[in-house]
Amino acid sequence: MTDRGGRTFTPDFLTELFRNPLDPGYAAAAEQRRRNAAAGRTVAGWRRPSMRVVSVLTLVALGFLLAVAYRQTVAAEPGRSAARAGLAEQIKQREAENAALTARAERLRAEVNRQRDAALSGSAVARLRQLEAATGLGRVRGDGVVVRVADAPSNADAVTGAGGTNLGRVLDRDLQDIANALWSVGAEAIAINGQRLTSTSTIRAAGGAILVDFKPVIGPYEVSAIGPGRMGRRFEDSAAARLLRSVAEEYGMSFDVRDADDLTLSAATEPQLRYAVPDVEPSASSSGVPSSSGSGVSPRPSGGGR
Amino acid sequence: MIPVVALLVGVVLGVWLDPSVPSALQPYLPIAVVAALDAVFGGVRAKLDGIFDDKQFVVSFISNVLVAGIIVYLGDQLGVGGQLSTGVVVVLGVRIFGNVAAIRRHLFRA
Repeated sequence: MTDRGGRTFTPDFLTELFRNPLDPGYAAAAEQRRRNAAAGRTVAGWRRPSMRVVSVLTLVALGFLLAVAYRQTVAAEPGRSAARAGLAEQIKQREAENAALTARAERLRAEVNRQRDAALSGSAVARLRQLEAATGLGRVRGDGVVVRVADAPSNADAVTGAGGTNLGRVLDRDLQDIANALWSVGAEAIAINGQRLTSTSTIRAAGGAILVDFKPVIGPYEVSAIGPGRMGRRFEDSAAARLLRSVAEEYGMSFDVRDADDLTLSAATEPQLRYAVPDVEPSASSSGVPSSSGSGVSPRPSGGGR
Repeated sequence: MIPVVALLVGVVLGVWLDPSVPSALQPYLPIAVVAALDAVFGGVRAKLDGIFDDKQFVVSFISNVLVAGIIVYLGDQLGVGGQLSTGVVVVLGVRIFGNVAAIRRHLFRA
């Protein structure tokens, strides 16, 4: 392979690489030796044994390198998978913690409401209730509409992804349009898949998922709204509904609006104050209910720049 | 015989000493191993061809490891470290395959 003589063309780099993988240095060294032997010269006596020793040392170094690399790889692997498992575990644990805390907050809020109702006069309570309902901080009940949108059935292969992209997917923009249209036709309270919207709610996409207030919602999406009796018809006439209807016809997305009686929309999660602080320090004297701010584990969305 | 013993001694030393690799050098370890393997298979083939030379082996080993490391380091600095390590692995892999094929022909006549 190395002594392929009489080549009249210069092969390109890759051809040369495939054809002649051995360092030409070995051949050159052998040639040199042969010439020395033919000329009757002996190689300097001290060089050959010392080179042999260096060669052996190189092999020792190589074995060392192999062992170290192997150990390194083996040591890194459990760390990597442990880190992944640990993160998944943490996510699950935080989710459970979050749910427990939300439930506790709900209980405490009900307790606070009861105490407040007892302390305040009737008209003040009524006014407070109204404000809470309007801002999304209180549970509300009433008649309204339910808008249901769902992704078109995907014909893409789940494993290979073949079959093209599904154009009939519900986007965060669609939900935003629906919510805005519902507000504009007089809705007083809106919830997406049970998640109540407030004036600071966000509907965003992260990857393929839609997040409402940073919590993922999955299809089919049900946007429930409480509002005046003619809201459903007026919503159907809105630009957003017409657009979604045409999209639904074209791409197989499902979209329907129905009137619903006696909807109950739960309260939104407490808004997180970022810049404002309450002016009045809550007095710790009243009742034995532990203050909810004392639990100290309220997770804050880190770096979720809105 | 002696080379095999030397290799084993190296492995034993590595296992026994269990040195901790500084994290800055860790990305270069796999590349260094591939480069070293290339030098070794080159050496084995030369041995079977009857033209083995100690100096050539030592120099090719050291330069292979160093050059591969430097290329990957340069790539890291330029932001194409992943691609350049792939390139190094491909080139060295081709050489290793070629040399192993020659060794196989020597050993099995096939």
